[in-house]
Amino acid sequence: MLSFALDNDIIQARYCFYGTWSCYETFAAILKGSTDMFDTSKIGQSFPPFTIEVERCKIHELALAIGDDNPIYHSREAAQAGGYSDVPLFPTAPTLFTFWGNTKMGRHLIDMGVNVMGALHGEEDYEYLAPIYPGDILTGVLTLVDGKTRKGQTGSMDILTIEVRYTNQHGQHVLNAREVVIIRG
Amino acid sequence: MTTNAQVPTKVYFEDVQVGDEIPKLVKSMVTHLQLVRYAGASGDFNPLHTDPKIGEMIGTGGIIAHGMLIMGFVGQMLSDYVGPTALRKFGVRFKGMTHLDDVITCTGTITEKFEVNGEARISGKVQAADQNGDVKVTGTFVAALPRRS
Repeated sequence: MLSFALDNDIIQARYCFYGTWSCYETFAAILKGSTDMFDTSKIGQSFPPFTIEVERCKIHELALAIGDDNPIYHSREAAQAGGYSDVPLFPTAPTLFTFWGNTKMGRHLIDMGVNVMGALHGEEDYEYLAPIYPGDILTGVLTLVDGKTRKGQTGSMDILTIEVRYTNQHGQHVLNAREVVIIRG
Repeated sequence: MTTNAQVPTKVYFEDVQVGDEIPKLVKSMVTHLQLVRYAGASGDFNPLHTDPKIGEMIGTGGIIAHGMLIMGFVGQMLSDYVGPTALRKFGVRFKGMTHLDDVITCTGTITEKFEVNGEARISGKVQAADQNGDVKVTGTFVAALPRRS
């Protein structure tokens, strides 16, 4: 399991309040096992699908938090005036699908007592394949596409590449979201 | 693969040249309130980004911004430039931590013009750096642009 010098009681207490974690820390728990080395036999493994409805208000909220006041993200009327059929997806909106859609993975993690502080976000990549608009219902399937252990001067780290492939309610493949996560051992 | 609906954008394929700079975006100073807000919006409630005590404990020098917030800044620049539905690919590498009071500037350059299945596309490289020039993210994008004719 991951170990990282932290005040465990405080962290554990806080975990109770954080219902939503991203999926990658869970990967650490599942994949790390009891050995130091990353178990490469897990490469290619997919996890149970999750679904999420694309919501206008979440796009509005994300753009607001980022500080993008382009009206197309904040009202359907403004979006339509700008030539869009509805509020368009903010470029980084796929992050919403992972955090709000893939919540069960996080719960597993908390139950396993994994210290998520060891995880660092290395890369994030999106491939937008078809339009996604509010009201669409997306199904995401997360696959571990690569993983390796690197030994450094300060210990070892696992470098995981995960990909979520999203299809919409019509079965159309609309988005790929790929993430590289570095987990300090 | 379906091609995204064509929507009005400010930039036409013919008007873009390799080497052109994307209009830069200078963001307001990153504040604690913004990180709390971003946590709530994105669903990333990692206390590393919201709770100063955690930041002190793990030695990041206080709380640090969500990397995805900085990617969001770059996304805003690209959205302003080509519009959100023009994007075909967008990816970044996280290079450094962003702290409170950092002022992030996003910049980018066009690196290629090409065509895929009759769709006119550009690709470019982007980055976000703070007031000292420390790079926080670097990345690339591909966007589809309308033609004038």
